[in-house]
Amino acid sequence: MTVLACTAGMVFALALPGPDFERARQLALARYGADAAATVTRWIELIERAGPLSEREKLSTVNAFFNRHVGFEDDAVVWGVRDYWSTPLEALGRGQGDCEDYSIGKYVTLGLMGVPVERMRITYVRAEAGLPGSGISQAHMVLAYYATAQAEPLILDNLITDVRPASRRPDLHPVFGFNSEGLWLGGTIAPAAGDPTARLSRWRDVLRRMTLEGLN
Amino acid sequence: MSLTKQLWLAIALVMLIAFSGSLLVSSLSARAYLQEQLLLKNMDNAISLASTLSQMPKDEVTIELLIASQFDTGHYESIRLSDPAGNVIVERASELRHGGAPDWFTRIFALRTTPGIAQVQDGWKQYGTLTLTSHVRYAYRELWTSTVRLFAWFIVAAVLTGIAGTLLLRLILRPLDGIVQQAEAIGARRFITATEPATPEFRAVVRAMNALARRVRQMLEDESQRLEQLRREAHHDTVTGLLNRGHFMARLLTVLGREDEDARGALVIARLLDLNELNRKHGWPVMDALIRRFAKALEGMGPRDAEWVPGRLNGSDFALLAPGCDDAAELARRIQEALAMIAREFGLDEECRLPAAATIYRHGDQLGRVLARVDAALAIALEHGSDNVEVAPSEQGLGERERRVDLKVWHERFDHALNPNHVKLHSYPVVDASGRFLHNECVARMRLERTSEWLHAGDFVPWLARLGNLPRLDDMVVDLALDRLQRGADDICINLSAQAMNDAVLVHRMASKLGAAGEHASRLWIEVPEHGAFQHMERFRVLCALLKPLGCRIGIEHVGHQVSRIGQLHDLGIDYIKIDAAFVKAIDENQANQVFLRGLAMIAHSIGLSTLAEGVDSAAELRTLVEIGFDGATGPAITAMQGSEATLS
Repeated sequence: MTVLACTAGMVFALALPGPDFERARQLALARYGADAAATVTRWIELIERAGPLSEREKLSTVNAFFNRHVGFEDDAVVWGVRDYWSTPLEALGRGQGDCEDYSIGKYVTLGLMGVPVERMRITYVRAEAGLPGSGISQAHMVLAYYATAQAEPLILDNLITDVRPASRRPDLHPVFGFNSEGLWLGGTIAPAAGDPTARLSRWRDVLRRMTLEGLN
Repeated sequence: MSLTKQLWLAIALVMLIAFSGSLLVSSLSARAYLQEQLLLKNMDNAISLASTLSQMPKDEVTIELLIASQFDTGHYESIRLSDPAGNVIVERASELRHGGAPDWFTRIFALRTTPGIAQVQDGWKQYGTLTLTSHVRYAYRELWTSTVRLFAWFIVAAVLTGIAGTLLLRLILRPLDGIVQQAEAIGARRFITATEPATPEFRAVVRAMNALARRVRQMLEDESQRLEQLRREAHHDTVTGLLNRGHFMARLLTVLGREDEDARGALVIARLLDLNELNRKHGWPVMDALIRRFAKALEGMGPRDAEWVPGRLNGSDFALLAPGCDDAAELARRIQEALAMIAREFGLDEECRLPAAATIYRHGDQLGRVLARVDAALAIALEHGSDNVEVAPSEQGLGERERRVDLKVWHERFDHALNPNHVKLHSYPVVDASGRFLHNECVARMRLERTSEWLHAGDFVPWLARLGNLPRLDDMVVDLALDRLQRGADDICINLSAQAMNDAVLVHRMASKLGAAGEHASRLWIEVPEHGAFQHMERFRVLCALLKPLGCRIGIEHVGHQVSRIGQLHDLGIDYIKIDAAFVKAIDENQANQVFLRGLAMIAHSIGLSTLAEGVDSAAELRTLVEIGFDGATGPAITAMQGSEATLS
């Protein structure tokens, strides 16, 4: 019986028409107050108006939007835990986040604007701090955009406001990139709620929470 | 279908439903779990391999080696690395698809596996997509073994439940066996009572059936008492209760025709002279009391086992028919002395003159001749003095000395004559009411030498009885009869003596012989004399219990003298009774006997017994018997009707 219900639920989730922005707005209002709700409303408008923009323009807009509305802060300060991956709603609602929160926010936003996920990679990078060649590095995360599979990626980073090709970011050394491709069937960026495996990884956890917030 | 079978069916059905249900649930949830685990493994392994590949130099050999080593040391169905355009760079795939479980099983419970996909990068450049699928064989094997194990447990549980259920059902239904037995017995008109079981529902049934059985028994009791009353009125002297002349003569006549141990014995007649004179002098009451004492004395004269018949032939003549008694003189003397003693007690010894006479009767004697012999002897006794005892001469020895001589002679004769070469069966047909053949009643014939005459049973059976050798003859008769039956003969009836019935060893041997004869035993009819059956009721009961289940039919012959006990036959399961010829003689003219036999037949029918008549002499007798409800008959008239007597060797 349970199995059947799960299956039915999954089918239902897959059949949903798209993101439920109204729900996201309500949640932001309820959780973080009117200011946050206003930011979220602007974010939603940004997505809804992105239709006619080129992909390059979408990248710049989204990069700028997140870099402006989310202030950098350690997870330990914002969430009280060492490492926490927030959803775009959480990041915008709090107005704070760290590098992975930016990357996830941008990835999801671009996805909602219609940018195919296979062109994006959330990438772990080693970032050289200070002057080039100083030897001081820190773990960092950025969003890489590949116009084509063979193309040089454009990097969306919270440290630098404008979107630059990878060759102009000698300070970043890529380690491993991923997106939500192949995680689950059906082509949605997040699984249906109730899939028990969703709890198992950070990445999938954030995607699941997003679904609960209506951003599917 | 029996309850136990139905129970097994129900258990099998319930178990099947339970098994299918739990198999479905457990297999589906196991499948879901396995799919999930496979998915996680695929993803994790894909990501970690992709992550390693991303850090490695991208020469073909290194990539190939890394993927090959992962593939060869792990459990994978395939690992594929393809470039961003979708062209395969390296691929390793296992040819073996399943193998962990039968094909039909993998078809039904197909595991939907999702490959793990991860991106491999070369610096900022996309190098390719890694697709990794773990082998599902192990998952199928796991799913299959758990299903098989579940199935095995269900079989075990079903069998255990079935056994427990059967035992429980047997325990619950144990009283039912008794009820069924009783119901079947009542259906066969055996009105047995059963002990009441503890289960209330069963108890009610048994109680009702017991009540029925009791009512039927009471009715039988009443009816047989009424019949006994009828018989006494018709056949007995009103003052003494002894047989009256008519019936005594009928008894004597049938005894003379017997082919058993009663075919030889003594007849004694004692006379109280001048009874009318004495009556006048002392009055009826005194003389009736005296005569009643005489009757008592005569009744107590015989040994316990024998069926001696006292009678009052007319006012002053008293008779005692003593089958099996060889010393007529001694018996006559004993009677004379006993009667004289009673007269003395009454103070009439001076006035009562009590002459007595005796003779030995034997098989083949004419009734008239026997009576004439005693009459003549009585006349001689009278001449010699009032209290004289006279024994009529006979062809046979008459006294103790002669008897001893005879016994010795016969003992020697039997020594070599009592073997199958010297014994054969002689048969008389018995027919049913419409004249159809029922069975051949067989009696033994014996010859003393290979060349000598065949002796009539009445000639030698009395001597066999006196020597205690009757069981040996009966044993031989059983063998001969079974032999005939096995060679395809029609139904055969044999007479079993009381001596044989009391011989436990012989009865058990008979049972095993009948058992060995199989279905032929169903054509064997076995009958015992009424006197023997009622005298040794317990032995007769054992005989019925042992032999009846083997298929043979059991009956009682020479019936009628103890009708008050006929109700006792109701639960024995016997099949028929043969009515003694004494009641059948001239039945067409004897109104009283007609009424008696009509009642007897009715009672017998009510407990499921057929009634057959012995000694039918004429077509008129047979007609009357059929009219009053008899089911069959035997006797000279029947033998004549069936053609000449058939002799079986």
